[in-house]
Amino acid sequence: MKLAPEKIGAWLSGSGPDSDVVISTRVRFARNLVDVPFVVRMKQFEQELVLETVRWALADTGYLKQGQFFEEEMLVEPDGMYFVERHLASPDLITCKNRKGLFVSEDETVSLMVNEEDHIRFQVLASGFDFATAFGKAAELDEKLEGQLAYAFSPEFGFLTACPTNVGTALRVSVFLHLPGLVLTREIEKVLRGAYALGLLVRGVYGEGSETRGNLFQVSNRQTLGQSEAEIVEVVSGVCRQIIDYEHKARQFLMHNLRVEVEDKVFRSLGLLRGARIISMEEATNLLATVRFGVALGIINELKLAEVSQLLILIRPANLQVILGEKLTGAEQEERRATFIREKLVR
Amino acid sequence: MKLCDICGKKEATLVVRQLDKDGKATDLNVCAECAKKRGLTGVEESLPESGAVITELKAKVDESDAKVVCTRCGMSFAEFKRVGKLGCADCYQAFAEKLRPIIRRLHGSVQHIGKTANQGRKRAQERLEIQRLRAELEKAIKQEDYEKAAALRDLLKRREDETGS
Repeated sequence: MKLAPEKIGAWLSGSGPDSDVVISTRVRFARNLVDVPFVVRMKQFEQELVLETVRWALADTGYLKQGQFFEEEMLVEPDGMYFVERHLASPDLITCKNRKGLFVSEDETVSLMVNEEDHIRFQVLASGFDFATAFGKAAELDEKLEGQLAYAFSPEFGFLTACPTNVGTALRVSVFLHLPGLVLTREIEKVLRGAYALGLLVRGVYGEGSETRGNLFQVSNRQTLGQSEAEIVEVVSGVCRQIIDYEHKARQFLMHNLRVEVEDKVFRSLGLLRGARIISMEEATNLLATVRFGVALGIINELKLAEVSQLLILIRPANLQVILGEKLTGAEQEERRATFIREKLVR
Repeated sequence: MKLCDICGKKEATLVVRQLDKDGKATDLNVCAECAKKRGLTGVEESLPESGAVITELKAKVDESDAKVVCTRCGMSFAEFKRVGKLGCADCYQAFAEKLRPIIRRLHGSVQHIGKTANQGRKRAQERLEIQRLRAELEKAIKQEDYEKAAALRDLLKRREDETGS
């Protein structure tokens, strides 16, 4: 079992459509096996049975050899947070006490959790605003797995999930957006309220509850039943298209009217990151996000979008410790994080 | 203030309607003490303070939720409400009546649209076919085409036996 912490997902290549605003697009399906009770009612042997059945299905469909299957000791706190920070697993998978598994494809675009809230939850991540790739690959995996596994399904309620919030298509699609333009022009509240009114869920990517760090937002569908998969994608995609356009307009306005102020903010952030000797994750996240904004606007030319987006993940506690190969205290982390960022930003 | 029709001393707190054998009603104003003496009990216990009424009603709901149980995994609807997760696929059938309003509130709909599972697709088709046959049978009976009705009935019975519905 090996991790390649410095080589980070193809979904962060910064190359997809609208990647100046959209970091990534995610498509996730939940599925349960018809013959086994759901996770809250599973006995240990049933958890093991599901784990083995799914691993076997992944092997038979050819996916397993394109990645790694992680189990038990790799999926507990604190080390398991490595996968959460990289958006490959949920915090619940790491904290739960079930017999569990996690498949991750080599390029980290496909991942599949076993025995989290549902027997199976798999996702596909694509770089930028790219539902065609993300949905296409997810639907293909779904088809292939279904050839091997019998899913719990009802004609009335659709694909049956442990929680009724996911029942029906059991599909959750999300877009990770970087919206500093709308935040700086104070239009963000309006836009997010509009998205909510259209039945979408909006939250900060980092930080608890409504606290948002680095102007990074996640927009996803709230409802999973009563609309087809294609309709769900269409609605989220349509609303995000509009948000991306608003963000572009806000950026144009800022560059036209407040260019010096924006440049000042961007270069101060870069300066702080290049000079700091101790830095918390919160501060680093905010400063890196501002630098990313500068790169997207063409104010900073010496860095690439992908480099900065990847740093946002590599500086998080579990990843930093895996990269450095050491267990670090909180204070040690802040010092080593500052050094790590300085080295990465040297030109 | 009305006095008790029985003792004539205390304040009457309830009205007891008595029916004679011809069905004619006589109302009697009775105080709590006399009601108890005459065995007109249960009245006071059934109407406690309003806060207690809510608690009691809630307990009744919980009690009825505890009685709705999934025969496959043993989860009750009360337990589902507590943990927020269903126990198995059959819970959706066992709790269907109680889940529908919840699902409607969450999703604005109670009918799945979109992809169907392989085995689900087969079952849905079978169900549709049975519904179609039943409609045809009713039509044949209405039109008094008994020969056709008999044939349809045989076919329907065979289909129903096959699918176990």
